Amino acid sequence: MSDEPILEICDLSVDVGGQPYVRDLSLRVKRGQFHGLLGPNGAGKTTLLRVLYRALRPQAGEVRLHGRAQSEYSPIEWSRHVGALVQGGGLLAGLTPADIVEIGLTMRDIPCEKRREATQDALQLVGLQDKANQDAESLSGGELQRCYFAQLLACDPEVYVLDEPTNHLDLHYQLRLLDEVRRRGRTAIVSFHDLGLAARYCDTVHLMQEGRLVAEGMPEDVLTREVLYHHYRVDGVLEGHSLKLEGPVLDRTSPLQAAE
Amino acid sequence: MLPLSVAVLLLAMAAGVLWGTAEITWSERLAILLRSEDAPRGLSMIVWQWRIPRVLAVGMIGAGLTLAGLLMQTALRNPMADPYLMGVSSGASAAAVGAIIWFPASVTQTLGVPLIAFLGAAAAFLLTMSLSTRRGRSLDPLVVILAGVAVSLMFQALTAFFLYVGDPHATRNAMGWLMGTAAGTDWHELPLLLAILVISLILALRTASKLDATLLGDERAQSLGVNVGRIRVLVFFVTIALTGIAVAIAGIVGFVGLILPHMARLLVGARHRVLIPQAVILGAITLILVDLACRVLLAPEELPLGVLLALLAAPPFIYILRGMARVR
Repeated sequence: MSDEPILEICDLSVDVGGQPYVRDLSLRVKRGQFHGLLGPNGAGKTTLLRVLYRALRPQAGEVRLHGRAQSEYSPIEWSRHVGALVQGGGLLAGLTPADIVEIGLTMRDIPCEKRREATQDALQLVGLQDKANQDAESLSGGELQRCYFAQLLACDPEVYVLDEPTNHLDLHYQLRLLDEVRRRGRTAIVSFHDLGLAARYCDTVHLMQEGRLVAEGMPEDVLTREVLYHHYRVDGVLEGHSLKLEGPVLDRTSPLQAAE
Repeated sequence: MLPLSVAVLLLAMAAGVLWGTAEITWSERLAILLRSEDAPRGLSMIVWQWRIPRVLAVGMIGAGLTLAGLLMQTALRNPMADPYLMGVSSGASAAAVGAIIWFPASVTQTLGVPLIAFLGAAAAFLLTMSLSTRRGRSLDPLVVILAGVAVSLMFQALTAFFLYVGDPHATRNAMGWLMGTAAGTDWHELPLLLAILVISLILALRTASKLDATLLGDERAQSLGVNVGRIRVLVFFVTIALTGIAVAIAGIVGFVGLILPHMARLLVGARHRVLIPQAVILGAITLILVDLACRVLLAPEELPLGVLLALLAAPPFIYILRGMARVR
């Protein structure tokens, strides 16, 4: 793996509806590495990821891929390098899981025969091969998430942008799908609420608070007892890949006994 | 499915041309269609000057309104979106009625009723969208529909006001037209309708894969490289053009754009490359047959197109509403 960044975020500031959600944030994403975005609700993780898949335009700063500014890429060209698993629903009446996967491939001008093959393979990977032609509206939340994951895996972009990818997924698929991205050796930038999963998969984690980057480094260096207390309001410690809680959930005024 | 639909469309067109209130024997029908010299002149006139342009007009209006509804439902990801419920038809008709009653005939003739109807449709569509959009938030389907109903009511009230204070003769003409009727459609109205329909169809088919991606949500579509804003602008212009011309020719024809895209989805799924042709043909078939029923059910009286359509649309409308509630 090279130390050269594939993606650079430089002095980024993003407002949504007049409110600042990301402020002066810079980070470098290294090729082939798993980068985790961590932070409590409202920290600005999703807003940052929305900029990466071009759903939002920053008020200041820029994103660079291979040294070229995002604005120099056409939307289609950008999407072929940077693919995303995003939150939110659609109008799925009349669509099947196979359709959903194929829609992603059609946008990449992949020929019909190859599209079918890649669709079948991707649905097999996420365990939806038996539901390939079922009505997508009848899928459960977890199955739908797997279906969108299959679309992304079929497209297999250079950079995976994953916004809370384990939402609705059972433990088996959480591990299976993140393992698959890891196995492919692709670069990934992922927002996590599960700190154990972040510790298991991430080479580097970036901790955000109120739109700013407050710490970054290897998971075991960043996720200290003090960080868990100050940013997540829990008294606990990361042991390997699991979070061990050692006391009740803290309110804003609770002193951190163990750390003092 | 598509070849079968084309065959049914041809049969529906034949039925629309050959059946009606005038008693015509089969040999006379054949003679009239072949433009034989033996064909009775009066009956020939009914078929060539009255029925054929009318069948072509309602077919194209059905196709156009279905396409407009389908594109609105996709672009706004709203199963209830259609030109009628979003107030676009009411905006077009208020502008047209206002122009017919208030403007000097020379102005109306210069601008043309279709252009005035486009402007009304555009104003209504923009008003509905601005009432239902909140910065930084995604569109709520129910808020969009409520805004559409509010805009529709406002333009209907405006239309009623124009009719109330207008010249009684002009008012009588406008009243019949408002309930939706293709009676009296002339050949000269068809080229513009055909041109708008063909251009809209080409634009829609060229963006079929982007429309598919839009179904998955704005952010997913953007992550796949779709410029969702540009898709909405395209849908806006196609919708006002199709609705404006439909209203200018046949008045308000409601529910076609709401119901028929759903029926087409049930037949062929939601991928636009197949869905668009299927929906357009289904729209044409439906409106030709409903118009035929309007002509023959109470013959020699004629039912307004809008009245029969509203009656037929109620059960599927309730079905869609229940489906929407289930998904939410």
